[in-house]
Amino acid sequence: MTDETVSAGRTVADERLSDRFDLTRVGLYAALVGLTIFYLIPVQSGFVTSIKTSEALINTQPFAPPGPDGATVEKWAFAFDALSRGLVNSLVFTVPATILCAVLGSMAAYGLTLVDWRGQVAVFVLFIAGIFIPYQSVVIPLTQFWSQYAMLDHRLGLVLSSHQATLLELIITHTAYGIPICTMLFRSQYKTMSWEMIEAARLDGASVSRIYRRIVLPLSIPMFAVVFIFQFTQIWNEFLFSLTLIGSVNDPAASTTLILSGLGEALEGVDYPLRMAGALITALPTLIVYLLFADKFAEGVRV
Amino acid sequence: MAQTTLDNITKVFTEDDGNEIVAVDGVSIDIDDGEFLVLVGPSGCGKSTTLRMIAGLESISSGDIRLGDRVINDVPAKNRDIAMVFQSYALYPHMTVRENMSFGLEESTDMADDEIARRVEETAEMMGIADLLDRKPGELSGGQQQRVALGRAIVRDPSVFLMDEPLSNLDAKLRAEMRTELQRLQEELDTTTVYVTHDQTEAMTMGDRVAILDDGRLQQVGTPLECYHRPANRFVAGFVGEPSMNFVETTLRDEPGGAVLEADSFDYPIADEIAAELPESSNPVLGIRPEDIEISEGAPSGEHEIAATIDVIEPMGDENIVYLQFGDDSSVRGKSIIATIDGMRRFESGQTVTVHVPESAIHLFDGASGEALHNRRLDAADSQVPRL
Repeated sequence: MTDETVSAGRTVADERLSDRFDLTRVGLYAALVGLTIFYLIPVQSGFVTSIKTSEALINTQPFAPPGPDGATVEKWAFAFDALSRGLVNSLVFTVPATILCAVLGSMAAYGLTLVDWRGQVAVFVLFIAGIFIPYQSVVIPLTQFWSQYAMLDHRLGLVLSSHQATLLELIITHTAYGIPICTMLFRSQYKTMSWEMIEAARLDGASVSRIYRRIVLPLSIPMFAVVFIFQFTQIWNEFLFSLTLIGSVNDPAASTTLILSGLGEALEGVDYPLRMAGALITALPTLIVYLLFADKFAEGVRV
Repeated sequence: MAQTTLDNITKVFTEDDGNEIVAVDGVSIDIDDGEFLVLVGPSGCGKSTTLRMIAGLESISSGDIRLGDRVINDVPAKNRDIAMVFQSYALYPHMTVRENMSFGLEESTDMADDEIARRVEETAEMMGIADLLDRKPGELSGGQQQRVALGRAIVRDPSVFLMDEPLSNLDAKLRAEMRTELQRLQEELDTTTVYVTHDQTEAMTMGDRVAILDDGRLQQVGTPLECYHRPANRFVAGFVGEPSMNFVETTLRDEPGGAVLEADSFDYPIADEIAAELPESSNPVLGIRPEDIEISEGAPSGEHEIAATIDVIEPMGDENIVYLQFGDDSSVRGKSIIATIDGMRRFESGQTVTVHVPESAIHLFDGASGEALHNRRLDAADSQVPRL
């Protein structure tokens, strides 16, 4: 008797509990689905637009897929042709600049955080200040610096062609601008590292540079993933330096963002399918980088 | 292998606002080759800073540290031939135990790889961690990490071991085990060891000698029993021993029958030879260890017997810790006097008893400076005289 009553009571309680539980879950999933749709609609609309012929574009809703006769890959092929030169150029300056930012940023953070010397706070303040310098304010001095003082195409004329010199300028500029934020990201991780561990390594006989190579560097691999993704996306998508340092879409050093800005623009109107195809092609490399480093990234942002 | 000498070393930290903090103030200790020296004191007493100066992790403001005849003040940490065990173990988390232990030999010697591997395995065998060599620190328990940290120091075969509270992160049972094991290891290796702790049990049981620091100053260096029975001052007397020594402030008074120490609630006559050690008309502090106080039922009859009321009794099993108030009026509250008595004896809280403070066991300290004026007699107290 008693047993039954107790078990009956428990069932009722369980049901009530699971009811409430289900409601929160339903709410949660509804919100998730809503958000997914919200974020994917522009991408989906962009994609369906990119495979539409000009007629299908006029006759269908932006997010509706084209019929079988309204679909074409022609715009993708055209966009890829137009952008391929820019994609190569962008890769040529983005990859080295990203790696340099990460490596130099990590070294600077190590020197400013885990090595003890006088005046390091003042130097770190300079690094922090670097983060807050707006791009717009340096565009003119920067162009002058490269064209009137550095003159890489002139000085390195024997080794580099003029468009290679431009790419080198972009590598150096992006590296210089990326170092402060990278330093700060690495520093936030290094501050959590055990000071006793560094001292143990010192007593074990390791020099400052050996401690970096054998202890600090291996422990900062997750943070490198964070910085790689972040910096790659930043530099890849950057437009202002490309516009001022490269100047023209027709320049052989033109970056993909620069070419994309003019893609599909003509006197007779804007070619939306072509622009969409170009935008999606340009976005692909950042997506690939994210997928490559996703595991380590998740580990790194947890720090 | 040589004597390590701390000669009047001082460490002054300058704060950002220009304030100077003296962390270590003129500490001089000679550490013999192969000796186990324990630096002990309350937190903030400068013991860790002293250790870090020996290690070369902290610069020395003034004074010298010598290894043999060589002054090592300006020798960088890595060239001092010193290995340190940290409180947090400070293992390299991305390396296996084997790599952790090899690291020091790889960095500080040009030993061949197979020689390093042989030494690491030998040491791991000795420390009982041979089966953990390929694991990473994160997969080990606290006790195992502790062994790896010790093994990492031992494998380097340094001339001095420095240990900064290495057992404080272990649970009580493991700590007691490791205490014995560390002593055994140190005897086997016969390497000079400087061991920092705030735990006076560790200090008493582990060290050949104990150096007691307070507020940056060295209070006393001596064997544990010396510090226990012949404390140099009131601080040492109160720091060493658990429960700590009782102190009663008194005034010295000459009476026709002899000298008397007058306290708030009792008079304590002292022998002429003890009185001779005291400066005239002084205010000495009477010190007596809890275990030297005898408690009996009945009214006081003898010379050094005082009436007291039992306040609280803490039974520990083997002994009872008794908190007493002098006087037979339990409503008068003063500073408690602590006594330890045999665990089998039964007393009630609130009971009026007689406390016997044997004259042979008393210590007297200068009321102002705290310097010891008189220490207990050892011959009379017990027939087995501890060897100092």
